[in-house]
Amino acid sequence: MYIHSSSFDLQGERKSMYKQSENSFFKCGEKTSPISVILVTSGSRGNKLLFRYPFQRVADCTSSLTTKQRSPYALNTTGDVLEDPDGDSREQTPLTDQQLVAGFSDIILATILATKSDMCGKKFELKIDNVRFVGHPTLLQHPHTIQVSKTDPSPKREMPTMILFSVVFALRANADPSVISCMHNLSRRIAIALQHEERRCQYLTREAKLMLAVQDEVTNMTETDGSPQSPFRQILPKCKLARDLKEAYDSLCTTGVVRLHINNWLEVSFCLPHKIHRVGGNHVPPEALERSLKAIRPYHALLLLDSEKALLAQLPLDCSPALVRLIKTCSAVKNLQQLAQDADLNLLQIFQIAAHLVYWGKAIIVYPLCENNVYMLSPHANISLYSPLAEAFGQQFPGHDLPSMLAKFSLPLSLSEFRNPLDASVQEAQLIQMVVWMLQRRLLIQLHTYVCLLVPPSEEEPGLLRDEELPLVARVGGRSLSTPSALSFGSPTSSDDMTLTSPSMENSSAELLPGGDSPLNRRMTETLLASLTEHERQVILNIPAAQSPEDLRMFARLLHYFRGHHHLEEIMYNENMRRSQLKTLFDKFRSVLVVTNHEDPVISLFQSPLE
Amino acid sequence: RCGWETAMGKKLIGCPVCIEHKKYSRNALLFNLGLVCDARTKTCALEPIVKKLSGYLTTLELESGFISNEESKQKLLPIMSTLLEELNATGACTLPIDESNTINLKLIEQRRDPLIVQEYDVPVFTQCKDHFIKSQWDLTTQQILAYIDGFRHIQKISAEADVELNLVRIAVQNLLYYGVVTLVSIFQYSNVYCTTPTVQSLIDDRSIQEECLNYVTKKGQKRACLRDVFQLYCGLTPGTTVRDLCSRYSQQLQRVDERRLIQYGLMKALIRRLQKYPVKVTRDERSRPPRLYTGCHSYDEICCKTGMSYKELDERLENDPNIIVCWK
Repeated sequence: MYIHSSSFDLQGERKSMYKQSENSFFKCGEKTSPISVILVTSGSRGNKLLFRYPFQRVADCTSSLTTKQRSPYALNTTGDVLEDPDGDSREQTPLTDQQLVAGFSDIILATILATKSDMCGKKFELKIDNVRFVGHPTLLQHPHTIQVSKTDPSPKREMPTMILFSVVFALRANADPSVISCMHNLSRRIAIALQHEERRCQYLTREAKLMLAVQDEVTNMTETDGSPQSPFRQILPKCKLARDLKEAYDSLCTTGVVRLHINNWLEVSFCLPHKIHRVGGNHVPPEALERSLKAIRPYHALLLLDSEKALLAQLPLDCSPALVRLIKTCSAVKNLQQLAQDADLNLLQIFQIAAHLVYWGKAIIVYPLCENNVYMLSPHANISLYSPLAEAFGQQFPGHDLPSMLAKFSLPLSLSEFRNPLDASVQEAQLIQMVVWMLQRRLLIQLHTYVCLLVPPSEEEPGLLRDEELPLVARVGGRSLSTPSALSFGSPTSSDDMTLTSPSMENSSAELLPGGDSPLNRRMTETLLASLTEHERQVILNIPAAQSPEDLRMFARLLHYFRGHHHLEEIMYNENMRRSQLKTLFDKFRSVLVVTNHEDPVISLFQSPLE
Repeated sequence: RCGWETAMGKKLIGCPVCIEHKKYSRNALLFNLGLVCDARTKTCALEPIVKKLSGYLTTLELESGFISNEESKQKLLPIMSTLLEELNATGACTLPIDESNTINLKLIEQRRDPLIVQEYDVPVFTQCKDHFIKSQWDLTTQQILAYIDGFRHIQKISAEADVELNLVRIAVQNLLYYGVVTLVSIFQYSNVYCTTPTVQSLIDDRSIQEECLNYVTKKGQKRACLRDVFQLYCGLTPGTTVRDLCSRYSQQLQRVDERRLIQYGLMKALIRRLQKYPVKVTRDERSRPPRLYTGCHSYDEICCKTGMSYKELDERLENDPNIIVCWK
């Protein structure tokens, strides 16, 4: 008789989401945002916490001061924790994120987060109750070189006293492992930049000196005035590094895109895919994203989410010219293969750059726009009258409102139907723009036709699921032209196998053979049909359309597509066939085929909305 | 406090304790019983155990000096090896300390927070209801159990079982958390559904086929064939009501219960429901802004909240030129 207290936690979490705190626009309980960013160092003067953000309010500071008087190792617990000998009930009043980390005083954090030098260069992860700290401690100076310089009498640059440092992110304990890994990555990138700048011009030492000076100053002031203040607030205007760390934190909590210029010189850029790619409130795990990107086909198209100008403006000065060319030539009506030709790049490069743009949330993968595309309202679309999207639409297309437009796509609508010239009030070009606008904001999904071979069961043993009724997929291997399998992030491959200039030639050659019913053709058809069971073969051969050798041959050739995983457009592309040809074939063999329409699972990941 | 740290490819979970007392040399006793795991292990389930153990040991120490006493300290070794063996073997262990004290520990699987249950959601059992042991659950759950049939929605269950709405919601949410039930939408013959890409799993996955055909076949009939069932699912398209399906595919429905067909399809995400959302796009200055017709509330929700039937709502909205309806 144990009612799990999860429901109470839900109520609690909902309450804390609307609690007004100092940083009230950061949602508490947000699993993909950091709670805090902390900079610690370890050196000849011991462990120090240089900076942390967000910092405590003045009121909380008093409690941490009293802690100092007790023992530096006593933890200050904020919030009520009921005495619980069994230890198995959850806390009744969930702490806000800020309180979780505020409970750790500066000294404690410095002690636990600044590690020994043998833990440098590796991922550092520490979890205490509900807080998880992740960082990448970095060695600044090899320990024994410090001793060497001590004995060296020659005057030189000031001897650095810092041995190692670490940029640590505090997260909620239940953060997803992929989020933790991303935060670690960011910590490492910042560390690399700082290490470089330190070696070049002692940047970190200088900033650290400034930070410590301000901390000392504030401590002195507190002792004389008696009014507690947060030193970190004073540090911000004086130290660029502090501002950079604050900016990193703010960006991670909001957009998920971080761009820093360490010492106004080195750029550190990073994006948290969990913030950029979300499906109905949950983040898309990076593995799912990667899987989808690897399944992109040459007949897909790249749809930019910003205007060309805006996107180009965001690129750094030393970006790759291929990227610029691609952005300038890409269009929603061009598939990736055409894009490769127009931008004069090989297909593998196009795939890699496209994947990069998608990963950063700058573009999505769609099927190229054409008359026959059928669109429908996405189940995740926000159709609220008062949504910011509705407002933006009204501004972009004056005189039209978004819900009315969206209502038209309640039933699947093809682009040609949508552009019905009878409705002369709106110009055709503008209608296309509207569709593009809606696609960019993930309001529409595209439907494709999928076909499956299912033969009516034999009469002898009705109702039993015998082997005859087992669908084709179990036996036919099914070849499919795959996207360059070498597409993994950051690894180069040879471009030999990547130039798909035209779809497979082997089957088209069958058409070139003389005579409709030559023995060679008949044998080919027989071979293709051999993978079916006797019963299936009989049923198919009994269909009136099967009497025509060309039709039967075409059917046999396309057999491996009829297992529900290849949509019409893919078959058209691979086999170089027209839509009408295929549709006629499906109609002729409809007694053994089942047809359905739904979105393409490969790119449906990109059709989900942003938070 | 309980915490862990990763180092050298291993994870260390510990809960350090400090007991201050003059009787100890150095005036304090510090101890920490920790678990060592592989760095990649998911250890959230182990933390409560470590915490509980540290609590027990603290109590034992305070009561009888269990840890500081050299003799009783020796008992820790067999305790720790039992702990390791049994936790790894069965996920639970019983540690007898002495005649009067025994520690019981169990690994509790951590699950994800469930969705919020709405009044118009319909709970349906994921496994056979007969496997459900009533006595293990709380009184509220026991009371509403009979009314969970995969067709009654929360509001109806509350009314018929005579249990307050919020209690029903919480009880169902609890069942949802443990994966005992899942939620589907209200069934009506006027509902519209469409297929999802997952429908192909009916073709690919033999176990789903078996399960589906057993589930949807009418009681007392020979098992339906895959082709008929697949055709039925594919027959669900935007604009087609269940009623339409029944008239078009009457032959396929001879051995299939359409209500269970829909239910199974929703449970396994082979199909999804298309809900209607009314939006009041134009209104004159003087009238109040729309409260329910904003595009945020579906017909299901509006009917539940206002007590109107679908037909009544339809009639009311069809005659209003200012309101358009979106399906999604």
